[in-house]
Amino acid sequence: MGMLLSRVFMGLMAVWIIVPILVVCAAALNGGRTMFFPPEDPTFARFVEFFVTEEVWIRSLRNSMIIALGSAALAVIAAWPIAYWLWRKADGVSKVLAGLASMPFALPPIVFGVGLVFFWGFSGSLGNIWSGIISHAALFMALPLTTLSIGLQSLDRSHLDAAATMGASEATAFRTIILPQMLPFTASGFFFAVVLSFNEFIVVFFVSASAYSTVTVQIFNSLRNGFTPTMAVGAITFITTSIIIFSLIARFGNLPQLLGADKSK
Amino acid sequence: MSKAAALPTRLAKVAYIGAVLAMCITPFLLVFAISFGEKIEGAAWVWGFQFDNYKRFFVGADYPNSISFLYLKFLWYSLYYAMIASILAVATCFPFVWLMTRLSRRAQTVWLVFFLASLTLSEVFVVMGWDILLSNRSGLPALFKETGLTDLLKETGWFDVLRSWGLASPRNVRFKPTEFATILTMTYLVWPYAVILLYPPLSKINNEIIEAARTMGAGPVTVVRTVVLPMVRTPIVGTVLLLFVFLLGAYVTIAVFAAPEKHTLSISVYEAVRGATLNAPFGSAQAIILLIAAAVVLVFSRMALERGEK
Repeated sequence: MGMLLSRVFMGLMAVWIIVPILVVCAAALNGGRTMFFPPEDPTFARFVEFFVTEEVWIRSLRNSMIIALGSAALAVIAAWPIAYWLWRKADGVSKVLAGLASMPFALPPIVFGVGLVFFWGFSGSLGNIWSGIISHAALFMALPLTTLSIGLQSLDRSHLDAAATMGASEATAFRTIILPQMLPFTASGFFFAVVLSFNEFIVVFFVSASAYSTVTVQIFNSLRNGFTPTMAVGAITFITTSIIIFSLIARFGNLPQLLGADKSK
Repeated sequence: MSKAAALPTRLAKVAYIGAVLAMCITPFLLVFAISFGEKIEGAAWVWGFQFDNYKRFFVGADYPNSISFLYLKFLWYSLYYAMIASILAVATCFPFVWLMTRLSRRAQTVWLVFFLASLTLSEVFVVMGWDILLSNRSGLPALFKETGLTDLLKETGWFDVLRSWGLASPRNVRFKPTEFATILTMTYLVWPYAVILLYPPLSKINNEIIEAARTMGAGPVTVVRTVVLPMVRTPIVGTVLLLFVFLLGAYVTIAVFAAPEKHTLSISVYEAVRGATLNAPFGSAQAIILLIAAAVVLVFSRMALERGEK
């Protein structure tokens, strides 16, 4: 009885999360120009529009991808030294640096967005796609920093001691012992950053210009003029990407451990 | 490492730290500095050091001739929506996560992938889904009408109750724009975050403790109330606070679901910095006040929590 009740409750919660997503997906099948649910005159024409014929969506999808991949790579590269330093020395400077580097992610993004408008405005590159990439890298640096720290902490120190006794330099130990074991954590950090950047709205909304906009900004802009089913295709693309990426992290990394579950279980 | 190699390494280190700090800290410092600046009518703004923007926030630009609490009201709505939604999310999420952590490792992973995927879903998509569900021409109001639920509500008198709550127009139920829709969507927005944040502390609770309590005759609900809840009180409060800070920045939900007179600071900040009103110093002052408000709530709840633990 208790078992059944808990199953029903969990099922209900899953429904609560999934219904709006399903509604968006179904709306993409609409034949007309307006959003209806259930869809009227179902068709796949909207998918063709989104990926092939409508210039606006193709361009913003490309921008989204450039920003997501570029900023995630940059965030990983920027996070590695801090994570390594923090693990190796754990001194005051590295702790302060790690804390400051996590600030953009921890504080309300709208404040960071306002600051970035001024920052890029002064350097004359507001609305430049480069500024979008760097902004997101700073915003999401906390993610690879976290996964890398979790990974480094789980390394077996006795391997490093053994390497040191056999005369390996720090650089050699890093290349032959630390780096191979850290690959899954590096990849997880990268993909977390990719997915979040892909879906980020408010910061890009602040720093982008009409010259480039991402899918999320483009959707918000069209949302003011009323929904069109084509936007829903964007949503489907994004959800599918997220599910694939997290399934990959779950398959090749240890997802419960990354999210802080007890390792022994 | 030789002395000759040390200098370039050190330079690289300094350059790297400089770059990280420049990107992560300068934007916040700029917001703070510009919040004391001055808007020039018909032009941009100039640096300055005066508190007019802050004065305007609390009592209006025209004080002491007249007084206006418009921006305090925006701040109030920011705090109000965020607090209610984060508490609702954690309250409904806690039993779920507790049950989830009792499943097999494999089942947990599947659930986690599901929630991570919905967690990263952009605010614009979430709002889009709820907008279709709640708007008058499609979604729930249409469903209510089609199924005769509206008529049933009218017959039983509940329709008038809904109207007095602002959830119905003379003809049918209505969810846009209402506080109900705003808070519902914000709760939805942070629900997966609540799962991810409550997962680590709950998954660390050992089954043996639970079994011990059960063998002593406690029912499952009693166990959760008397054993589990006290163990995770700190993470629960922490989760509410994190969600609260996150929701302070909600923008799309407010823009779509809240009535203009019930908008929040994030809307007026955007309007001031990049939107119609264009007053960067005043927008910065509002952003700083939002940050301070968040900090005050965080500090006070931490103090309350520590006092409760003594």
